[in-house]
Amino acid sequence: MRATFSLKEKRFFLLIFCIALLQACFDRTSSDGESRNFIDDLGRPVSVPRKVERVVSLAPSLTEIIFAINAEDKLVGVTTFCDFPEEAKKIEKVGDTIRPNMEKIIALKPDIVFVSTASQLEGFTKSLEQNGVRVYVTHPRNLESIFHNIEVIGEILDRSDQANQLVMKLKERVSTVENKTKLLPKPKVFVQIDKSLFTVGRDSFITDLIVKAGGVSVTANVDSAYPKLSKETALALNPDVIILTDSYDNDEPNEVFINSEAVRKGRVFKINSDVLSRPGPRIVDALEQLAEVIHK
Amino acid sequence: MKSAIETKDRRGTFYLKPSKFGLVLIVAFMLSVIFAVFLGSEKLHFSHLTPLQKQILFEIRIPRVLLGIFVGASLALSGAGLQALLRNPLAEPYLLGVSSGAALGTIISFALSFNSDISRSLFAFLGASLATFSVYNMAKSKTGMSIERLALSGIIVTTLLSSIIVLLTSLLDSTKLRSFTFWLLGDLSQATRHAFLFVLIVCSIGLLVLLSQARALNLMMIGEKDAFDFGVEVARVKLLVFITSSALVGVSVAASGSIGYVGLVVPHLVRLVVGSDNRYVLPFSALTGAIFVVFADTLARILIPPRELPVGAITAIIGAPMFIYLLKRT
Repeated sequence: MRATFSLKEKRFFLLIFCIALLQACFDRTSSDGESRNFIDDLGRPVSVPRKVERVVSLAPSLTEIIFAINAEDKLVGVTTFCDFPEEAKKIEKVGDTIRPNMEKIIALKPDIVFVSTASQLEGFTKSLEQNGVRVYVTHPRNLESIFHNIEVIGEILDRSDQANQLVMKLKERVSTVENKTKLLPKPKVFVQIDKSLFTVGRDSFITDLIVKAGGVSVTANVDSAYPKLSKETALALNPDVIILTDSYDNDEPNEVFINSEAVRKGRVFKINSDVLSRPGPRIVDALEQLAEVIHK
Repeated sequence: MKSAIETKDRRGTFYLKPSKFGLVLIVAFMLSVIFAVFLGSEKLHFSHLTPLQKQILFEIRIPRVLLGIFVGASLALSGAGLQALLRNPLAEPYLLGVSSGAALGTIISFALSFNSDISRSLFAFLGASLATFSVYNMAKSKTGMSIERLALSGIIVTTLLSSIIVLLTSLLDSTKLRSFTFWLLGDLSQATRHAFLFVLIVCSIGLLVLLSQARALNLMMIGEKDAFDFGVEVARVKLLVFITSSALVGVSVAASGSIGYVGLVVPHLVRLVVGSDNRYVLPFSALTGAIFVVFADTLARILIPPRELPVGAITAIIGAPMFIYLLKRT
């Protein structure tokens, strides 16, 4: 059957066509064909301009990544916790990771703000967006996703070569560790973040780190990233190795561990909490230290 | 049970004979202790305990249940004492800023790196006393101390101290904040033997001191002037009850943070059942407070094993609706 259109219908189609054409034109002009689309770790689409010149980092780990890929010249704002490398301290502060200062961030006119789920800023991310600030959220769950973050940040900041090279080097060091520990026995490791038994659970990248370092995290199956463990369970776990993050009031294992393998054999070790807890390039330093101490 | 009903007041509330209520409480207490000892994040085979399970039972679970008993008793006692003194059933350690004072004291002790149990308990007691005495002096006027003035002063001191706590915890770094947030909501897992010992001693002495003032408190509930005419040394009783309450709250907070609603709900419930005679209200409140905290802490331990909840969140979740119900009933 041959389709026939009335004049009215033809006009209607013509109109639709014109609108579509117009829209296509405007699309091109608004983005200048330069905008790039990313999906961040929370699955949010983030449209980033071709040239990103002004960046605010709201996590020490992200600041470390940006420095490591030589994009620090773009960094216009960091948190008061961003203390590594030394030069990061000289960059304008926008508050700490818990209470960043909205006005200051907006005043810095960043092209993009990097946020890490490690600092639990979901609410703040929303209000930044409502104020028209572009936000990219990273959610580091394991080593692989930290490397992915480095590569994506490299791409966004036009430092892909540096980022890819950095990731390659880091991956090499990871395989060296893995090869070294592959055939060694796998000790049971407990990470004590704080003396009241906050530790690392299923969703923490530190759990992945312990596996890569050739150990087994005794709390790998506990829900959430940083759960508070009951004393009873902690006692029953009887770890072979205890790792203390060297923060304040965490200078010795909780008293439930007095008779554990780890304490009796003297296998209690401190690791710098900044190195261990920041999902940035130094995480591989933490991996190497972990691998060394848990097989001591 | 018909025989259990002794008196009936004008509003139609049935009072239970104190001996019967005492019996009910003792049974409930034993049940809650059994419940608490048998349940935990680790399953224990009580017929044949391994050495590890023995250690869990005797070194972790039972001491924690004991701590819960005495912390619950202390908080309820302190609430009962303050309520009798203020003739206001809404009065409690929180309203008067006693708990906030104790919490601030503990945090200051922590911030100054005085981490021994003695210094923590002492600072908490000092903080609690300081809060109580500021409230006491703010409320005192030429015409004597009115209940309204006292309650209002309590609110002012509480909000001021809470703000200082928020300020201090904001200044501490985030890793410290996590365990503090937990502790501020009440946590029975962090107490040491010494802290427990302080709670035990202060709770026992506090119960005796308050009981010795029960008759005086009964008379003061009629009115301070009337009590004075009956030969009660009102000022001395007030001071004694304030100091005892501060000490009770101080050691409890130092050992286990701020566990809310115990001092409010428990004495209220007890008065509904046995009337307002403080000779009964005080000891029964202590027992009911123990049951309440032990029960709540067991829930805190078993709801999301092997993780734990802060017990204060549980007491608030149980306590708030219960309190609304009790309030509607009267």
